[in-house]
Amino acid sequence: MIIGSDLRRYYGLGAVQVRALDGVSLEIQKGEFIGVMGPSGSGKSTLLHLLGLLDRPTSGSLLIDGVDVGVLDERARTVFRLRRLGYVFQDYALVPELTAQENVYLPSMARGMTPQECTLVCSDILGVVGLGDRIHHLPSQMSGGEQQRVAIARALVNRPALLLADEPCANLDTRNSKVILDLFRKLNHDLHQTIVMVSHEEWHKSYFDRIISMKDGVIETETNGNRDSDSMGNPSG
Amino acid sequence: MFEDSKVAFFLAKRSIARGNKGTLYLTILIIGMVFVNLIFLPSIISGVAVLFNQQTIDYSYGNLVIEPKKNQVYINNADELQRKIERIPGVTGVSPRYLTGATIVYKGNEVTPLLYAINPDDDRRVLKIASKVASGEYLGDGDTDQIVIGFRLAGNDDEKLDVIPSLGGVDVGKVVDVTFNNGVTRQYRIKGIINSDSYDVDSNAFITKNEYESVFGLEDKANQMLVRTQETGNEDMMRNTLMAFGVQEKIWTWEEKSANFLNQIIGSFNIINFIGTIVSLVIAIVVIFIVIFINTVYRRKQIGILKAIGIDRSVIIKSYLFQALFIFAIGTIIGCGFLVLILQLLAANPIVFPGGPVAPVVDAMLILRSTMSLLAVSLIAGYIPAWITTREDILTAIRG
Repeated sequence: MIIGSDLRRYYGLGAVQVRALDGVSLEIQKGEFIGVMGPSGSGKSTLLHLLGLLDRPTSGSLLIDGVDVGVLDERARTVFRLRRLGYVFQDYALVPELTAQENVYLPSMARGMTPQECTLVCSDILGVVGLGDRIHHLPSQMSGGEQQRVAIARALVNRPALLLADEPCANLDTRNSKVILDLFRKLNHDLHQTIVMVSHEEWHKSYFDRIISMKDGVIETETNGNRDSDSMGNPSG
Repeated sequence: MFEDSKVAFFLAKRSIARGNKGTLYLTILIIGMVFVNLIFLPSIISGVAVLFNQQTIDYSYGNLVIEPKKNQVYINNADELQRKIERIPGVTGVSPRYLTGATIVYKGNEVTPLLYAINPDDDRRVLKIASKVASGEYLGDGDTDQIVIGFRLAGNDDEKLDVIPSLGGVDVGKVVDVTFNNGVTRQYRIKGIINSDSYDVDSNAFITKNEYESVFGLEDKANQMLVRTQETGNEDMMRNTLMAFGVQEKIWTWEEKSANFLNQIIGSFNIINFIGTIVSLVIAIVVIFIVIFINTVYRRKQIGILKAIGIDRSVIIKSYLFQALFIFAIGTIIGCGFLVLILQLLAANPIVFPGGPVAPVVDAMLILRSTMSLLAVSLIAGYIPAWITTREDILTAIRG
């Protein structure tokens, strides 16, 4: 489903050149819950940015759902992000003037859904993330965990092929982190949602099907996660 | 395209409804004031033009002015021509007159005004001077040894109050010496003093046409013949009618006769107006630009996020354009409200110019022109900062 070949991302030139990603190749199957881990500066966020079409590789190719995203122009990449990708940011990144429902409404509206369809899918997805009774609250009236769940709902509302999460629990306490991770696991299990999540918390490993460990811009190891397959079923199937 | 506009409108609406109200109200107020400024000064200038135009018709020229044929000093057979013109449909009055220079002396004060020689009854049908007698009476057709003068020419006892050389405060009933340009000097009793708000009338003097003809030994002639028509505005058509009826003398419209004077005034006002308009529009563009620019810079990260989740850059720019449009629309409406209040205030307390009270003239074209220019600067001032900020790449914007 996702095939990255020899992805490189260099910043700067000459002696000051930084090799944030230095030849990464990977394959991610539909329905997998992938954890990308590693120390700061290992290149995990850079990899996520490339997968999320927020940045372009210096070289290498990337196929998502059979589409060579490297050849897409800026407008096509925007449409691709809207229709095929969902992105969850570390700091929730909600629009402060929009309620929970409106924040979720926005991508479906941009996609051209009718107001009725938008309302319906928003209610559904906010119910899935457990915020059915908080839909009319502004982000400022919600806790960090609730805001992150709204962000997840927003990322999922267009039923993306790939959900990308960049350290979504970094600003949350353990209890709220667990709520978010349990939600990811549920989405992965129930909706067969492909998820790539960046994290550097050891205890998160138990949620992942596969862990890509990075160091100095390259993949150091790829290991299976510690997930209990009995309770999760087989998401990659 | 329509979907994009819907999303942009949605974002703009929420941003206006839930954003910083203080900044929004202040910006709208400034735009309202700019709108007032765009309308107010031109409306006063138009009012001045209307006032001067009406005064020119009512006190100086009527609608049409007939003058002698080329190389002739007088209109000959003036009575016959007058009767001919009076019969033309659309003509309501014809007033033949002489204009001459004269020296008037009273108690050592010597002035050299224009002296108009008129048939008072004819004059009443063309001009409104007779209705503006401040003291005494206007001339009658049979008057021979009487003169009517403007109040500026009559002057004041204290010459510091005079704006032109005057007769030092001469009153009705006093006798002045008038020396004509043929050397004849006669004495005339002041019959009336005119205060018409017309600079021309108030600075000059009037005797009867009969008296003038007796001084110069003329009969049945005139220097000018003023024509009043039923309607103002169709002077060109009436000129053609007069020519069709056989009038061979030169025929001028009041606009042609007063063109230089009026054009100079209006031209000067228009320069002031142009500068005022440019300053107002620059203020509008700067205010909206700053507000939108600060807004977009402040939301730089949010703009990056919107782009990251798949909202097209054009949608974000449009949302700021909608906000600028909202500021423009409400500002314009509030400006209209202010304008109505100002106009009512001016109706109660008019601005008095040397020519009289000026009523501001707010016509549809002026409102349309001001609205369109304000709309254009609002869109430009909304577009540029949004375009600059959304040009930034997503990751730089998100990282702030």
